[in-house]
Amino acid sequence: MAPSDRDDGRDIMSAASHSLSHHSARYQQHMKWLLVVPLAIFFVIFFVIPVGLLFASSFNPQKLGQVAVTSELTLDNYIRFFSRSNYLWAAGRSLMLATIVSGITLIVAYPMAFVIAKTENPARNTFLLILVLAAMQLDMVIRLYGMMVILGDNGLINQILVGMGVTDPERPVQLMYNFLGVVFGMVQFAMPFMILTLVGVIRGIDPSLEEAARSLGASRWRTFLRVTLPASMPGILSGSLLVFALSISSYIVPALMGGFRVGVLPIHIFQQVAEGARFQFGATIAVILFLLSAGAVAIYLRVGARRSGGLA
Amino acid sequence: MGPKIPLIMMILAILGFTYMLLPIVVVVLAGLTAGEFLTFPPEGLSLRWVAAFLQSEKYLSAFFFSFKLALMTMIVSTILGTAVALFLSRTRFVGRAAMRAFFLSPVVLPGVVVGFALFAFYISTGIGLSRTIWGLWIGHILYSTPYVIGTVGAALAAYDVSLEEAARSLGSSPIRAFRKVTLPNISQGIQAGSIFAFIVSFGQFEVSLFLSAPNSEPLPIAMYNSLRYQFDPSAAAAGIFAITLVIASVLLTNRLVNIRQLLERQ
Repeated sequence: MAPSDRDDGRDIMSAASHSLSHHSARYQQHMKWLLVVPLAIFFVIFFVIPVGLLFASSFNPQKLGQVAVTSELTLDNYIRFFSRSNYLWAAGRSLMLATIVSGITLIVAYPMAFVIAKTENPARNTFLLILVLAAMQLDMVIRLYGMMVILGDNGLINQILVGMGVTDPERPVQLMYNFLGVVFGMVQFAMPFMILTLVGVIRGIDPSLEEAARSLGASRWRTFLRVTLPASMPGILSGSLLVFALSISSYIVPALMGGFRVGVLPIHIFQQVAEGARFQFGATIAVILFLLSAGAVAIYLRVGARRSGGLA
Repeated sequence: MGPKIPLIMMILAILGFTYMLLPIVVVVLAGLTAGEFLTFPPEGLSLRWVAAFLQSEKYLSAFFFSFKLALMTMIVSTILGTAVALFLSRTRFVGRAAMRAFFLSPVVLPGVVVGFALFAFYISTGIGLSRTIWGLWIGHILYSTPYVIGTVGAALAAYDVSLEEAARSLGSSPIRAFRKVTLPNISQGIQAGSIFAFIVSFGQFEVSLFLSAPNSEPLPIAMYNSLRYQFDPSAAAAGIFAITLVIASVLLTNRLVNIRQLLERQ
């Protein structure tokens, strides 16, 4: 904005405010709602309505290539989903994957969060947080590229194993293109979210509790198990739910680390829509995935911990 | 590091950080390898793949496409997100928490589903957004704006609103009081939020999957499409530039706002 525009704006605004100055505070209260209107309209048009239409089309009969919602209602798509073992397995696999990943990510991330929370030197603490934030913000495709170089059939780990004579070069250890590989990739994906959720909680624990336990003769380890760990339960719960919601939703991790051999729900959605042009059945799987993820998020919100600064 | 941290915790944390960061280091090394194929450890270092990236039609155009899209997303997300953060910090009403949760929800909802919903919406309404940069832009705004709301919200939470009230009571108009008092106090939060919005859009994959057109792909999609079939070291070289961009953004954010307070806000 050019300076002259600003001055004009200021004059207009102050003139307006003089003419309004006798209006009640209630009027200004109403004016505040104008702040939320643009994004609210945007979200309704491009989020609520499209997702609503997607829900609606899942109740339309499956018709190849047909996208628009029609008035014909049927439960056929849901009956198909719940009567084919193929899709039920995919749902089960997705749930199992998200649960396992939540557990492993918690175990891997807790010590990291603990160390960050207990690092008192501000520069060192900030440095560690920057590492976590940079990893979180970095494009998942790039991080998975690195994972694939490490875990692939000719990857770093297999090269080392062959070099040590442990593994036959013709039969490398399968660390990816299977369920295990997807778990490795998902943990990589979810770690920063779990760490950031836990750090705030661990730092929020009153240090005098730990000191009291120590002064009463508890070992450092026992203090951790009996005091710190139970006191971090809210963060453990909300972090796990967050990771559950994120990992059940991910397409890129199973696509690259599973090589399409691990058929989870997001993979099935893409295949139905992009490869089969079966929009209604794709929408049905999408609705089921959406509800599973939203359910975890709803519990997460009820747990009430938004400790990662609203960033997650 | 103080005596408070048990040794075993320290060891586990170091292993964890290695797991988190090693893939990123590997990408950098893979992009700098002198070899014909990607091997690790690299057969010496060279800039040949960086040069190949800089000459490749595919990755370079994808890089700039993503850059442009991220800038476009940043502008809209910053404006709309800041307005909503202000609103949420200034009003108290039943349903305020629900409204906040609603605006933040895209971050945790499946991007593939939202991308699919938008894709079907564009086609069935025939509004000409299908497989265009504008259609992608809309999807990216949905996913970037929550980060602005979160970051600006944190800046507003740390800001003492009585400063603005003081200006008002001295006769300043609401707009003037906001511009002269509040805005300078939260401007660093707004800048940090806009950087987040940029970088989230730049790395966005899931929403872009259904929305991008074959000839104008964002970088993550272009890298994904090549990675499905083969390891291309020039993709890793493209990754080096993206990594540099992310690190620069996070360092800049750190200069603007206190990352510790932002991330550890209770």
